[in-house]
Amino acid sequence: MSVERRETPWTRAKPQTRFRGGEGLEAFLLVVPGVALMLLFIVWPTLNAFWLSFHRENLLGTSREWVGLANYAEMFRDPAFWRSVGATFVFAAIVAPVQLVLGLVAALMVARPFPGVNLFRTLFFLTTAVPTAVAAVAWGWFLHPVGGTLNRALEAIGLPRQPWLTSPELALPTLAVVTAWAGVGFTAILLTAGLQQIPEELYEAARIDGAGSWTQFWRITLPLLSPTLFLVALLILLSSLTAFGQIHLLTRGGPMESTMVWIYRVYQDAFFNFRFYYASAQAVALFLVLLLLAALQFRFFGRRVHYG
Amino acid sequence: MVSLPRWLARFLFYLGLSVYAFLLVLPLLNLFAASFKSDGELFAPGFWPANPTLEPYLEALQKYPLARYLFNSAVVALATTLGVILVSATMGYALARIPFPGQGLLFGFVVALLLIPGEVTFLPLYLLVQGFGWLNTYTALIVPFVASPLGVFLLRQFIKSLPQDLFDAARIDGAGHLRMLWHVALPLSAPALGALAALTFLGSWNMYLWPLVTINRSEMMTAQIAVAQVQNVEVTAWNVVAATAILVLLPTLIAFLLAQRFFIRGIALGGLKG
Repeated sequence: MSVERRETPWTRAKPQTRFRGGEGLEAFLLVVPGVALMLLFIVWPTLNAFWLSFHRENLLGTSREWVGLANYAEMFRDPAFWRSVGATFVFAAIVAPVQLVLGLVAALMVARPFPGVNLFRTLFFLTTAVPTAVAAVAWGWFLHPVGGTLNRALEAIGLPRQPWLTSPELALPTLAVVTAWAGVGFTAILLTAGLQQIPEELYEAARIDGAGSWTQFWRITLPLLSPTLFLVALLILLSSLTAFGQIHLLTRGGPMESTMVWIYRVYQDAFFNFRFYYASAQAVALFLVLLLLAALQFRFFGRRVHYG
Repeated sequence: MVSLPRWLARFLFYLGLSVYAFLLVLPLLNLFAASFKSDGELFAPGFWPANPTLEPYLEALQKYPLARYLFNSAVVALATTLGVILVSATMGYALARIPFPGQGLLFGFVVALLLIPGEVTFLPLYLLVQGFGWLNTYTALIVPFVASPLGVFLLRQFIKSLPQDLFDAARIDGAGHLRMLWHVALPLSAPALGALAALTFLGSWNMYLWPLVTINRSEMMTAQIAVAQVQNVEVTAWNVVAATAILVLLPTLIAFLLAQRFFIRGIALGGLKG
């Protein structure tokens, strides 16, 4: 077909190769609404975020004045800010491995078909359909100091009840596990897709060579899955650095500010401590950290993207 | 290595699957069980209610306008999804199929926007929306999220991968770009549109921080924020909180069960952006 066409180029206008004036207007009309919305609601707020962070409320709170880098200077000296940063990274450092392992176990079990696989896929992927607020409430009750099933189970086997969400030591790790749980479905979906791209022939060849499933996992599955694992780990990291809903519902940053993560402090300072501009500076700092991670993701995976 | 008899290996495999699935779903089952417990039974031992009752649901529905909250969430999620589809399809088509000056630049712009973590620009966005007088309106929850760089990117990639012959044939039949978009690109993009719709719907329905700061009038609250509000008031009545949460869970759960492959595809694609 294509050879024939090349021989008779005059039978069709050459589309897609050269710009024709009439098309410009059509393209313009199709593109402009979207571009305008992106400029207004993504580009402008991003630029304005920086601009705001150079200001401060005046004493009456009626208008703002330029203070240059004063917010940033204060931020770097503010122990409360650094505690939030620390809590955020501890949180992310727990969420990422827990969610990755939980999701990987699920994905390994359902990546290949077997009778009943759809039922188990549904169950393993189910948490994607659970809104943050619902997940938080479910765990709030599951971990309840008196009526919670977990504490009841601990007591039944002779262990003491734990103040999961009410002790400064336990609250942050507990929230991290809740967050990881809520993300299991998401992780399992991505890892299942990754596992399904590993050619079945590799496993067959390994079996013929007498490799057991343990060897197959370490020598085939894990090496070939590692780019996907790395990507998913980055995605988990990115989302856990901005986890908010479950913290707002379960601990409100407490007890004793132990779960006052970065984004929660931004929210708190902006809407409750009347320090909107100081909050903006903290938000910009978080923005830069996330941008760095996103750029890393882009750097490693930008060229892999294709629609299959 | 000792190899197990086949039936035993299979039995252990299904046992492992079942235990793992049970543990994953356990907190939700626990919530579901609590939502049918009477006030008297709530703190009594026993996982399932001995005498299941609908009282918590009736109390939740009587004390709080949950139907209104769910309606608000539905309006917001559906309108956002529709808007994202519209903008992504038109922009994606133009970027994939119409050569125009600056096309490469515009596509680069969209890809660059993919990198921007939107979660942390909510303070300037708040000022903007406040300036427009949109606080406490659906508009605040919909319009800022209608132009999705991810959506444009995904549809541009998908439409570009469609066979050129189909567009040539349509052009020879005299179709302009709008007709090609509507009659060729969109029907063929159904899988991508479904995935994007599922992803967008889920994202909008689950929004938490943004409605929390832009909505404070009770009748405009979304279901997510309502859960927080009910939990705040019903400090000890966990059965009422559980009933509220189950009602808020149902729409996404049903949507997920009905259109699972779109959700899975949407998440796989959304995760692979970059």
